[in-house]
Amino acid sequence: MALPPRDFTRIGPNEGERFPDIRLPDQHGAAVDLHAVRGDRKALVVFHRSADW
Amino acid sequence: MWPALQAEGVALFAISYDSVATLQAFADKHAITYPLLSDEGSHVIRRLGLVNERVQDDHAHYGIPGNPRHVGLPYPGVFALDEGGIITAKRFHESYRVRDTGVGIVARTLGQLGAIGGSSVTREDEVVRVRAWLDSPTYAFFQRLHLTVEISVAPGFHVYAQPAPAGFVPISVAVAPIEGVAIGDADWPAPQPVEVTGLEERFWVHEGTVRGALPLTFSAPPGAGDHLIHVTVNYQACSDSVCLAPVSLALGVPVREVALEGRELPGREVQRG
Repeated sequence: MALPPRDFTRIGPNEGERFPDIRLPDQHGAAVDLHAVRGDRKALVVFHRSADW
Repeated sequence: MWPALQAEGVALFAISYDSVATLQAFADKHAITYPLLSDEGSHVIRRLGLVNERVQDDHAHYGIPGNPRHVGLPYPGVFALDEGGIITAKRFHESYRVRDTGVGIVARTLGQLGAIGGSSVTREDEVVRVRAWLDSPTYAFFQRLHLTVEISVAPGFHVYAQPAPAGFVPISVAVAPIEGVAIGDADWPAPQPVEVTGLEERFWVHEGTVRGALPLTFSAPPGAGDHLIHVTVNYQACSDSVCLAPVSLALGVPVREVALEGRELPGREVQRG
């Protein structure tokens, strides 16, 4: 029968930790330092499958 | 969605393994102004431990040919950060069947986080489609309408009725309180029993399409105005071999006030519906 749900709480950095520093180009090719751009705002960081398919 | 976040002072970042050119085309097509970050090569996705290594196993299980696009594919999900960059919540979903765009994940996650409700009345992924509607787009004083919630599950999958087995989420519907509106309990059709051979366990499921309905009685005096009815639908879809993560959907169903026959609403133009 059904498998137990996968434990999605164990994927990636944990709640209570600081989100890692990352620096990636945006859709215009400009380098974005996530925490620098965020400043002192709250943020949602979304990981999604390709925008292309 | 995004303007609502901006108004709350929340920054939004979406990360995928697409090239800058792909993201630029996507942003142009959908008029996206928040940062779409290009993790070409999946270096950050790997460093953060977000690679979905099971997608290829799962596809093999279903006889789906391997696909180079699955290499470095992240689990789709979202981290919520506080002002100091500390992770306050994270929500990840099964990846290989749920074709969420970033915006779709945000909408669903915000529903789960209880931050901002959605405004659509239909949500769909490859396994489950949820629709919610009233039997009339309008109400008049002391009218009773029914809110119907329809959950359609792809062949081979089921959702759980109450009581669900331990660790699984049964279907449930909640309507946020509205002043002057009496909200009844949802009525669902009888589920099918499932007995697990060799185990002392029996539980109840729905397959195909199931509809629940709950009554809303509008008893506030005329002039109470239009409402957006906030509906939360919880469910978890499983097949015999795979379980998707539990989902909590926020839907907004609008309803417009109209006058009783031959009357006018106080302070408003006459409306007939």
